[in-house]
Amino acid sequence: MEKTIILKNAHVIDPLREINGIADVAIRGAKIAPLNSVDEKSAEIIDLRGHYLTPGWVDIHVHAYGTLGFADPDSVGVYQGVTSFVEAGGPGIGTLDEFFALMDGLETSLYVGPFIRPMGLLGLNFIEGNIRTLGEVPITKWIDFAQEHRDSLRYLKCNAMGDYGPGTLNVTKGLAQILKLPLYMHIGEFQNQKPEILLAYEAFKIAESGDMITHIYHGNLGRVVDQKGKLLPIVKEAGQRGVLFDLGFGGYNFSWDVAEQAYAEGLVPYTISSDLQQFNVVRPAKSLANVLSVMMHLGMSLTQLISCVTAHPAKALSLGDRAGTLREGLPADITVFKIEDGSFELTDCYSNVRTAKQQIVPVMTFKNGKRFDVDMVKGQDEANWFLQISEDQIPAAAYALSNDQRAFLGALADELTTRDWTLYSAEYLDVEKALELQQAFHAVLAKSGLPLRAGLRAVYSSFIDQKFTMQIGLFLMRLDRAFAVARLKEVAKMSEQMLGAKHEGSYANHYSA
Amino acid sequence: MQTITPPDDKAANDGPTKDWQHLDGVDPKGKFPARGRYGEESIVIFQTKHGYRGTSRACPHMFATMLKAELAQNETMVRCPLHVFTFRLSDGKGVNCAGFHLDIYEVEERDGALYARALP
Repeated sequence: MEKTIILKNAHVIDPLREINGIADVAIRGAKIAPLNSVDEKSAEIIDLRGHYLTPGWVDIHVHAYGTLGFADPDSVGVYQGVTSFVEAGGPGIGTLDEFFALMDGLETSLYVGPFIRPMGLLGLNFIEGNIRTLGEVPITKWIDFAQEHRDSLRYLKCNAMGDYGPGTLNVTKGLAQILKLPLYMHIGEFQNQKPEILLAYEAFKIAESGDMITHIYHGNLGRVVDQKGKLLPIVKEAGQRGVLFDLGFGGYNFSWDVAEQAYAEGLVPYTISSDLQQFNVVRPAKSLANVLSVMMHLGMSLTQLISCVTAHPAKALSLGDRAGTLREGLPADITVFKIEDGSFELTDCYSNVRTAKQQIVPVMTFKNGKRFDVDMVKGQDEANWFLQISEDQIPAAAYALSNDQRAFLGALADELTTRDWTLYSAEYLDVEKALELQQAFHAVLAKSGLPLRAGLRAVYSSFIDQKFTMQIGLFLMRLDRAFAVARLKEVAKMSEQMLGAKHEGSYANHYSA
Repeated sequence: MQTITPPDDKAANDGPTKDWQHLDGVDPKGKFPARGRYGEESIVIFQTKHGYRGTSRACPHMFATMLKAELAQNETMVRCPLHVFTFRLSDGKGVNCAGFHLDIYEVEERDGALYARALP
């Protein structure tokens, strides 16, 4: 018999069904159930008096994978009140196989908005905006991939910044049309880059109804307001055409000044997303809940806020068959939160602070009917976001590798001794070399017969303690070549005695193929 | 500012720009991180459990002041407040920010005063 739960006495806000008041919600198994179909005597009753209850929050812009991703993506998902999120550009067509090999088993529903560049996002380095790094656009491969992974694929991402030039936006738009996906565009330059043509404004021209533009309140070059704080006509026109504006708080993408000016001018986000990543989870973004508190302080009503993380993202991502509302029969994805009164400092990405009198604090999440108690500390735990190469010693995870995995590492070390590479710098990254290293990895892996996941984990486990993920070519380029080869050989040659000494505990479970 | 004799042999062969320099106005018993000057450079001095160390004034990422940086990893690293870019105090290498590098200065206390020299 399926478990039943009744969530009683919460203030329910379900904008799509225009519910806004005290009500009870029933769960049967993994689904929302009609209240009168659940017997109170046999159900678990949870009294949520004094709390708000909404459809599970959907964050359309996070970094779960890759150079910006977390060791535990659920830490910014179900453990922060978010039941579904979208990886915004971490992988591209050349690394989506790695993404799918690694990113299963999450409690939070993970979707993907791949990047136009085959390698995906490169990170925070200034090379991100160099047009040559965009590389090839293999149309047939994209079409095949989209057919195979239709359900995971929710938009196509490109960056309207740097020296890409407007042509790249058109290329991405064209591919999005072929794949029948919305286009999702980043606007706003890195602070120290000043390209001749600001692509932010090209983005507003190119975007069509249903396409999304993120970081609408960024404070860098390419703002939505002019120097006097007036909303640019091109932005207003895009909104009138049905282009959807996304908040995308980010690490350098939200300015109080711009937000206050643009909001006063009537520019309100359609979706509120966090852009959570390794580099902003401690501050200033912190969590989607914190970003909601920011937007509440800006002036949005609670119903508006909830729409922006439930009904609106569900519509923008075509997830209405499974998310965004509490309709009976849909998955029981639910967020419970409270509003605390007090004095709360809310910081933008430029160290400007506003003091709010209220903040939104998630308490409990239900994902497919399974309860998760919110743990805001998990996301901020240093081990979750601080990706450090273990240079002095072999990570404990390596001791749990199988014989096949270690044999693979030996073969990979041999292959890499025939390759040469230099570490990438803030200003330069040889993307073609990263692709070459990726191909070398795959060639050795194919000969070994190991599954992709086992091969990737074998390499990561030789260098890092936590379960971070990264495009394998970029990961290798991040390592000093001599050190990388020596470490791989060292792990490959670990004796049975060495392995026995540490081959116990949780690592074996976490890192097995 | 004065140039003094290097405190150990390993510095003896360094060129004139690598000389130890007195850090004017930086009190070893004062508050850290502290602002200092090394030649024409503004630097920031940290007091760690392993001794004093200096860094360039701004993070190489988006130029946030390192005066607000935190010590990390048993005080062997320094972390920019803006995007948690973290650098080794031993050599300035970006740890979680591949490709980025922070200039590092050795800092030593002698006779109640602090002296610094740039790492080569």
